[in-house]
Amino acid sequence: MVTPSGCSGDDPVRSLSLRGSGASEADAAGLLGRSPAMIPGKYRSVSGRAASNVNCGLHLVIQTSSLPEKNKVEFKLSKETPSFPGRLLQHDLERNYSSRQGDHINLVSSSMPSFPILQRSSEEKILYSDRLTLERQKLTVCPVIDGEEHLRLLNFQHNFITRIQNISNLQRLIFLDLYDNQIEEISGLSTLRSLRVLLLGKNRIKKISNLENLKNLDVLDLHGNQITRIENVNHLCDLRVLNLARNLLSHVDNLNGLDSLTELNLRHNQITFVRDVDNLPCLQRLFLSFNNISTFESVCCLADSASLSDITFDGNPIAQESWYKHTVLQNMMQLRQLDMKRVTEEERRMASVVAKKEEEKKRESQKQSLLKEKKRLTINNVARRWDLQQHRISNIAADQDGRDSDSPSQDPCQNDGSTVSAFQEETGSLDSGLTSALQGLSVTDTHLVEVDGDTLSLYGSGALECLDRNWSVQTAGMVTTVSFTFIEFDEIVQVLPKLKMKFPNSLHLKFKETNLVMLQQFNALAQLRRVHQLTVDPQGNPVVNFILWKYYVLFRLSHFSMQKINGTEVTQNDMIMAERLFGILAHVASSELPPYHLISVLGDARKKQFRCLLETKGKKPGTVSEENDDSKRPAGENTNRAALHYTARDLYHEKLEEIKEKKKFCKMYIEDLVKEATEINMKNEALQKLWPQMFIELVRDAVIEVRNKSSYMKLCLRHITDQK
Amino acid sequence: MLSPERLALPDYEYLAQRHVLTYMEDAVCQLLENKEDISQYGIARFFTEYFNSVCQGTHILFREFSFIQATPHNRASFLRAFWRCFRTVGKNGDLLTMREYHCLLQLLCPDFPLELTQKAARIVLMDDAMDCLMSFSDFLFAFQIQFYYSEFLESVAAIYQDLLSGKNPNTVIVPTSSSGQHRQRPTLGEASVLEGVEASLFYQCLENLCDRHKYSCPPPALVKEVLSNVQRLTFYGFLVALSKHHGINQALGALPDKGDLMHDPAMDEALERLVVRSRLHRTSRQHRAKEPGAFGFQRREKLEALEREPSASAPTPYSYWW
Repeated sequence: MVTPSGCSGDDPVRSLSLRGSGASEADAAGLLGRSPAMIPGKYRSVSGRAASNVNCGLHLVIQTSSLPEKNKVEFKLSKETPSFPGRLLQHDLERNYSSRQGDHINLVSSSMPSFPILQRSSEEKILYSDRLTLERQKLTVCPVIDGEEHLRLLNFQHNFITRIQNISNLQRLIFLDLYDNQIEEISGLSTLRSLRVLLLGKNRIKKISNLENLKNLDVLDLHGNQITRIENVNHLCDLRVLNLARNLLSHVDNLNGLDSLTELNLRHNQITFVRDVDNLPCLQRLFLSFNNISTFESVCCLADSASLSDITFDGNPIAQESWYKHTVLQNMMQLRQLDMKRVTEEERRMASVVAKKEEEKKRESQKQSLLKEKKRLTINNVARRWDLQQHRISNIAADQDGRDSDSPSQDPCQNDGSTVSAFQEETGSLDSGLTSALQGLSVTDTHLVEVDGDTLSLYGSGALECLDRNWSVQTAGMVTTVSFTFIEFDEIVQVLPKLKMKFPNSLHLKFKETNLVMLQQFNALAQLRRVHQLTVDPQGNPVVNFILWKYYVLFRLSHFSMQKINGTEVTQNDMIMAERLFGILAHVASSELPPYHLISVLGDARKKQFRCLLETKGKKPGTVSEENDDSKRPAGENTNRAALHYTARDLYHEKLEEIKEKKKFCKMYIEDLVKEATEINMKNEALQKLWPQMFIELVRDAVIEVRNKSSYMKLCLRHITDQK
Repeated sequence: MLSPERLALPDYEYLAQRHVLTYMEDAVCQLLENKEDISQYGIARFFTEYFNSVCQGTHILFREFSFIQATPHNRASFLRAFWRCFRTVGKNGDLLTMREYHCLLQLLCPDFPLELTQKAARIVLMDDAMDCLMSFSDFLFAFQIQFYYSEFLESVAAIYQDLLSGKNPNTVIVPTSSSGQHRQRPTLGEASVLEGVEASLFYQCLENLCDRHKYSCPPPALVKEVLSNVQRLTFYGFLVALSKHHGINQALGALPDKGDLMHDPAMDEALERLVVRSRLHRTSRQHRAKEPGAFGFQRREKLEALEREPSASAPTPYSYWW
């Protein structure tokens, strides 16, 4: 049994290897120092100085199958004084340094000036034939050790050695401890072919090198150095323990060939990712505490290691994450301990449940974002079409402005500019999986209908067809907000009756990019059942730039008692202002519009109402009509406002065409009538002119005829007889 | 109708010239349009109402543009209707853009062309910065000139252009005119140095135009007055002067003087009633929503009483101002 004397209690890392020694390798692997768990609490809190006196009496057993049983090496150190920890050390040190008491060891200046030569008394040699401890000797160089070729264990802890020298003759050396020195480079070891344990912790080594011949190395401790990368270790196929704690490693890779490695200590580095661990067939314990690992992806190769049973991640950003534990457990089913705590079955189950949920959630969210992306693309597509259409329309408008010019006259550049900019910046980044899935989507849709909670959103004029669909009563009842985007307002006007029927609860209307350009277009909304909120986005709706638009809306839709316009609460003052601005218009429309015209202006539904209004008006004009008008008001809109209605431009043009036809006919008809009338008039006048003369002539003829009374009588009598 | 001029023309021409035919045609057209409804309350009644409304100037409300501009009377009626309906906007002091005025016009005449509004705005803004804000009165008077004399102004623009380019418009437009013979062509140098055209020359051309113009044009005497104050003037300068000339406004007869533009007591009274009613209506509705029952009912009665009172005291629903 070998018990390397306790010395490095200050570094828990150094001692970690012990904890892992499971039953299966009880004979071999418990090698280094003490675990912090094994140091009594009162010491653990005390650093360096105090801990250096701790001697816990650890045992180191090195046994390989190649060695016969009797060759079992046993090192024993300070076992005899457990109650006075450090006493022996102190003793040895004093002994060696001051040569006071018997001087078992003598450091004598050699013939070579720089190297002291070590000699031991024969008695000493017999007692510790295979062991030499030179702790705390303030050595700055390795002494020349003569006549000790059989040495198996050599301890140079706590010196100031800068270079490994003068030990190449110790070819039977198995254990070499150079802990806490000032070595800057690994060298001078090429002849120590049987070396099994090499302890180089707490030195100044920058690079792992010159280990080519140490093929039997079992334990390599390089903790507390300045190593930045793992290299030149791939030939160490017997290495079981590698300690690289407290170095400057930024990542872990290049580990292949370490076929026997069971423990890898990488605590207190700056590691951000770990690779190659799945190439270590025997790795059981991996310590990654206090590094810079923040995602599970950067250590995902761990999941592929079948042998790993104990791992630590504490002190990494990843350990702060809520998903940390279950993600690790889910991905490493073989794990027995995580962060030094046993993994229970329960935890594992939990992890798998959580992971499953997570997976589902992820799939769901992926689906969601896929849908979202599809929606975005569709909307983009609709927007593009809308832009094109708008451009065309505005071009025509520009043409027409000269002659006809009641087409939507709006600024093409302003319109295009705003839409394009607004919708292209939304092209966000998507993870690769999603993008590939998206390529499968053919986004040729020209419209989009979406019901989200209480909002029905329609994009593109094709979406209006959805109002013909059969909506479930529940959905239809739930929808309180209807939003229109990229649809001509005139097209919307035509489906408003359908909207009123299918979504009776819609209270909030939203318009964006709908080409609202005129106040009169708002008239169309009066036909709805009720509107409590109206939102008209300035984008693509130039009408919103008018100062008066809100008041006009309030005035025209006063029967709805609007509550909000574009998100602003409607106040009593707003209502009064609206009435003051436009009240006269309504008054004129209702009281001065000739009745025959009012009929044609009012819709069919209103005609009946109007007729009875007309009847009462016939009897008592004025008073009754207003009363009547008011009594109907709570039920529907003001009759005096009904005259302010809106006909979509296309329809209006049709109507004008119709009127033109009628006019043509009327013109001809009137022309004929008037011509006839004037002709008659002319004849009449001509007759009037002739008549006096004619009358005189007639009278004169009659007088002449009756002048000769007797002959006239005869004539008359003859007439009578002739008749008989 | 029985003016002595009647005898100077054949009947048909006379009727056409006086636009009687236009109204007759339109009356029949309207009759056709609403055959069924009108036949229910009597064709005679319809014609009475129609010609009454023509006399009152209310016949143009919400009619198509082609009808509104068909006769000077219609144009004047439309101007007056526009003034009456949107006087409140001016009174409120809001300055509006050309497009907003256009929207207001479209409320009365859905197919009112943008071009006319633009031209009117050009008079106010002197042909630049078309998206500037204008006061109601500025716009209204400019619009009056532009709308009422629109054909006349087009001819004037042509004459102005000819004068600018040094042509003698009279030889082009009125070849038979004798007045053009002794007029000197303006020298090119003069025209290019000074802005606009010479006022007197311009007036001669306009006088000529007025003589033979078959559309309505402003009284020549007033045009002379406008032009006599200046030596030279530009086209828009001329239009601005026309629009600001109160004599022309009076001659046209559609709008009150600029000073009285915001006055319309009859309408104000009607408006007050409407405002009171809407206020009561709104509050009563709120009350009714909060606590239905006896209280709401009471309020409603009160409301009706309130309404009945002013309407009874205003027995003149029609104002014959023609």
